[in-house]
Amino acid sequence: MNLRKTVSLAIAYILMSVLLVIYVIPFYWTFLKSFRNSIFANFPPDFNPPLQDERALLHPEPQDSLELRLIPTLVLQQRLRLCVCRCRECVHRCPCCYAFARLKFPGRDILFYAVLATLMIPFPVISIASYVFMLDIHWLSTYQGLIMPPQIASALNVFLMRQYFTTIPDDIENAAKIDGLRPPWQIFFRISAPIAKPAIAATAIYSFISSWNNFLWPLMEVHSIRLFTLPLVLNFFKGANGTQIYWNQMMTVNILAMIPTLIVFIVFERYFVEGIALQGRPVS
Amino acid sequence: MASEAYENVRVGGLRKGKRSSDPERRTGIIFIIPPLFLFLITFTFFPAVYSFVISLFHYDPFFHKIYFVGLSNYVSVLTSSAFARAIVNVLIYTAVVVTVQTFLAFGYALLFNRVSTYSRVVRAIVFIPAVISPVSMSIIFIWVFSTEGPINYLLSLFGVHPINFFYSTTYAFPAIMAMNIFSTAPYFMIIYSAGLRSIPQDVMDAAMLDGIRNGLQRFRYIYFPMLRFSTVLVVILGLTGAMQLFDQVFVITDGGPARSTYVPLMFIYNRTFVYTGEIGLAAAASFILFIIIMALTISQRRIISERRW
Repeated sequence: MNLRKTVSLAIAYILMSVLLVIYVIPFYWTFLKSFRNSIFANFPPDFNPPLQDERALLHPEPQDSLELRLIPTLVLQQRLRLCVCRCRECVHRCPCCYAFARLKFPGRDILFYAVLATLMIPFPVISIASYVFMLDIHWLSTYQGLIMPPQIASALNVFLMRQYFTTIPDDIENAAKIDGLRPPWQIFFRISAPIAKPAIAATAIYSFISSWNNFLWPLMEVHSIRLFTLPLVLNFFKGANGTQIYWNQMMTVNILAMIPTLIVFIVFERYFVEGIALQGRPVS
Repeated sequence: MASEAYENVRVGGLRKGKRSSDPERRTGIIFIIPPLFLFLITFTFFPAVYSFVISLFHYDPFFHKIYFVGLSNYVSVLTSSAFARAIVNVLIYTAVVVTVQTFLAFGYALLFNRVSTYSRVVRAIVFIPAVISPVSMSIIFIWVFSTEGPINYLLSLFGVHPINFFYSTTYAFPAIMAMNIFSTAPYFMIIYSAGLRSIPQDVMDAAMLDGIRNGLQRFRYIYFPMLRFSTVLVVILGLTGAMQLFDQVFVITDGGPARSTYVPLMFIYNRTFVYTGEIGLAAAASFILFIIIMALTISQRRIISERRW
């Protein structure tokens, strides 16, 4: 029995290590390539750290530096603004979820089912109509047009947050009522919202990530390079299909585009898991 | 539990009487109206209806040629060979990817379901592709599947000639499938991990006493029934996600050699922005895609309603 346990543990660790290698190789090469001089990917793949005379980034060519300067100044900062807007919107939504979970008012359930029905409408399916809508109200290539329409999994967020609010015991709120917090909005802001902090954090992080990574809507909506978002810039950098990709520059841009998501992921790793754990919890 | 809490609220409300429920009603409406009307109605319900209206018109806003054509857009979409190809492709894609990624995600979850720093670190690293933008992943995978990439290097060890995956009609789509499984399986792994964590230890102990020892039996009698909810969630999220495949195809192959990676959203995008002036057709195609996604999701509804989704 003990031997079997040891063997299975060893197998598990070997499998994990294999997975680790498989998942690390593409990123490792990406990282190395971004420091190299040669634009070509060589065969067999070179996984050694670049030698002194292969390093590129320290002495950039003039046109390279011009292209690289485009990334931080134009794109990153406005992209951040965009994501902050989305996160704020998600936090605004929090009272709405609370109302669905706890407060009672006429038509609550009908409204809730209406929100759930929008879960069934994936955004890409209505993207054409949204595009025409933006065209009609002259919102193409504007910040508001970029920010407002995509409801990235937001109905899902409403559902998850409502679920979280219903798991908070009633006793806590009743105790607050006895202690003199009469109006429901006061109970919400003083008691329930602080308890639901993990759920709020998780949904905010998910909207950050999904709006950061959103590609289809900016691709449709943005027509001027001034408003390009990072995924669009990446695609732009890649060039037309079938042309030679300048691998070292491409991977530099790629790494730059990944850094913010990676920082958010590393800092909030706990909430990522918790956020999906909310979904995974059986409702009944 | 959800309905129980709801009952509690209702009973509490009755006991409190009419006077105290009035501010509750007011607050509820104030809390709900702004996000609901501003976002959901304006930017989801309205475009959904608008989409259907547009699909009934020949809609060319760039040259102001707009006239009613009835259902003829639907007829031309359904008879178009490109759209048929796109639908077949995406259905194959969905079938393969959802199946493989569900099993793989379960396998990952089992593998990482142990308390140790090493497994925690590896799980975090394996999760990275799920948070990185699909465009970044696509660009990395252009290299992975290129003639100079590691896959071809591995194959060359066995004496296989280098294959240019994304330029071949046979291998382009499987390569995209592999790439998406690589990056979505970790995401669904987390759902299974949460499910595994919610299985009480008592159940495992009782099963041990009942003589369920080998892995296959454990899978049949414990994991399969206890993780049914997680599986439904993984399958539904996977289905809707797979039907909306666009970014990767657009970045890597742009519909691919001879339409071998053509998908419905590619069709919709091309009708609007490449062959300009066919927005009516694109809207009709997206409505058809919507109906297909809806049908696939609703077919799961019985199981969901059983678990009080």
